[in-house]
Amino acid sequence: MGRREAEALCPEAVVLERDVAEETRRFEPVVEAIEGVIPRVEIVEPGLVFVPIDGAVRYYGGEEGVVAAVEAVVGSGRIGVADGPFAARWAAVSARPGRPRIVTDTAAFLASLDVATLGAEEMVATFRWLGVTTLGALARLPRAAVASRFGSPGVEAHRLASGEAQMVQPRTIPAELAVEERFDEPLELIDQVAFAARALAARLMDGLRRAGIAPHRIVIEMERTDGVCRRRVWRSADPMDERAVAERVWWQLRAWVGGEGGVIRIRLDPGDLSGTGRQLALWEDAAARVETERALVRAQSLVGPDRVLVAEPQGGRMPAEQVAWRRWGDQPSPPARDPAAPWPGATPAPAPALVPPEPPLLEVEWDEGAPVRIRLGTRWEPVLGWSGPWRLLGRWWRGEGAADRYQIVTSVGAFLCVVRDGRTYLAGIYD
Amino acid sequence: MLSAPGREPVTVLELEPGRIVELVGSPGTGMTRLGLGLLASVPGVVAVCDVRGWFCPLAAWEMEIDRERLVVVRCDDRHLWPRVVAALVEGVPGVYAEVPVGVGDQELRRLGALVRARRTRLALRPLRGPLPTGVAHLRLQAEGIGWEGAERGWGRLRRRRLQVVASGKGVGGMERTIVVEEDGAGPVRVVSELGVGAGRRALG
Repeated sequence: MGRREAEALCPEAVVLERDVAEETRRFEPVVEAIEGVIPRVEIVEPGLVFVPIDGAVRYYGGEEGVVAAVEAVVGSGRIGVADGPFAARWAAVSARPGRPRIVTDTAAFLASLDVATLGAEEMVATFRWLGVTTLGALARLPRAAVASRFGSPGVEAHRLASGEAQMVQPRTIPAELAVEERFDEPLELIDQVAFAARALAARLMDGLRRAGIAPHRIVIEMERTDGVCRRRVWRSADPMDERAVAERVWWQLRAWVGGEGGVIRIRLDPGDLSGTGRQLALWEDAAARVETERALVRAQSLVGPDRVLVAEPQGGRMPAEQVAWRRWGDQPSPPARDPAAPWPGATPAPAPALVPPEPPLLEVEWDEGAPVRIRLGTRWEPVLGWSGPWRLLGRWWRGEGAADRYQIVTSVGAFLCVVRDGRTYLAGIYD
Repeated sequence: MLSAPGREPVTVLELEPGRIVELVGSPGTGMTRLGLGLLASVPGVVAVCDVRGWFCPLAAWEMEIDRERLVVVRCDDRHLWPRVVAALVEGVPGVYAEVPVGVGDQELRRLGALVRARRTRLALRPLRGPLPTGVAHLRLQAEGIGWEGAERGWGRLRRRRLQVVASGKGVGGMERTIVVEEDGAGPVRVVSELGVGAGRRALG
């Protein structure tokens, strides 16, 4: 329900802005309590943590033992155990306080989940429209077909539905990517800590950007003058951008700041670096790419996949022939005509920016082979200059006749025209 | 940003984050290329919303917009158009969109608010009539064009010079006339600037 609807139903309702930093501060004791039972807690957001339990299972004699130990310290939380963070999250969502959910067959559990668990609204709406309502139905589709229709967000959804839980492949972290700051004057005030957090996040992201990688995990370390050293791991399903890193550093430090001693050291370590198998291109930012892909998937859902397009160069003599269109998200295929081959007689640069898919008839007055004036809308415009004719022989073996090309210049613009069988067609507008 | 070689860049011709530039001119005046020139310097993916279905990416490639980062979205439905452009604005760093006839003022103003909130760069080319007042931060209107190279049956189009009048908050509320040039080999270039306010003497 949106805010306006809520206010209409209940005019006396009070709207409060979410304060994630305060939520983090209040959640901190819960995280500490869990850490006392199992190390390596990773926070997704206040209220949701993941914990790898392979080592703890041996210590506590089984998953039930681990769950009991955590229940003893968190009290009324919801606990789920499954293969991988995505399945574990939804196992926890389906659990009840005091009734943890331990999933033994993760594939069957995932198959029964609704596609809404994927979270991407527009893509989920399209899945439903196509009759795909569960993750099991999605997993049964060929991945190539999903990739073709939905691009990389679709591939990611298919992987999750198929139980390929890890979205990133852990890589060895180059030590020089971590950033650390020591403060000669301990930071006592919240504002000082906030400023330091932003500056350090910016330094970290600068280094990662230059290396062409983006973090899905961030380890935040803080040391105080009283010798207390705190460490916390935050993780994100999407690659973190500078703002996401700065926010998490700020939320965490604010949860720790206070009490005896100021902050004398902060360290940030990136982790679980994006393992897409390729380096990011120089102009590309991973988090921005995710946002862009979501926007384009949304556009696809509005106009249809056949109207969100990418162009590839192709050989040819006319501008319309020199472009091959494919749907955004589809893999490029080899061009029908080699663009690198010589194409003598090709229309020279600059290319017209507007090319009609079906060249319309154009009214042109000619005088002994020279264009005199052309009709644009309701007005006749005198021709100020022209080049041509350049002959196009056509595909005579298909019955195509020869044609002549002209570039015609008027005071309101220049136009590429083709004359065939005595009639003039508009082939492009130099806009 | 479009810049003059050997001179300080003229910042008036720029797609700023969170702002809309309006491009006014009939087909043939060069405003599509000018819009592409503004997009060329935007980092990341850029999108063209093509209403007529006539957009040809060859011009974009000549202006050094890499083909891997150019996406074309075709939408000729004036009722759907605001939602499509809003979807693009929410995630694509730079957008050039033709505006179909009949899009309401209110929808355009909402789009302006979204652009400001998302800090996207948006260039709008209305297919008929101007945008409502206050939507665009900068208005670029084609005033006069001239082509070199095509003579009386020989040569070929080589270079275009376009006189553009810039107005709106982006130029401090005054009108400035700028001459831009392009030859199909690289970005559009500002070649001179005539500081002209309405009713004042011209500066060359």
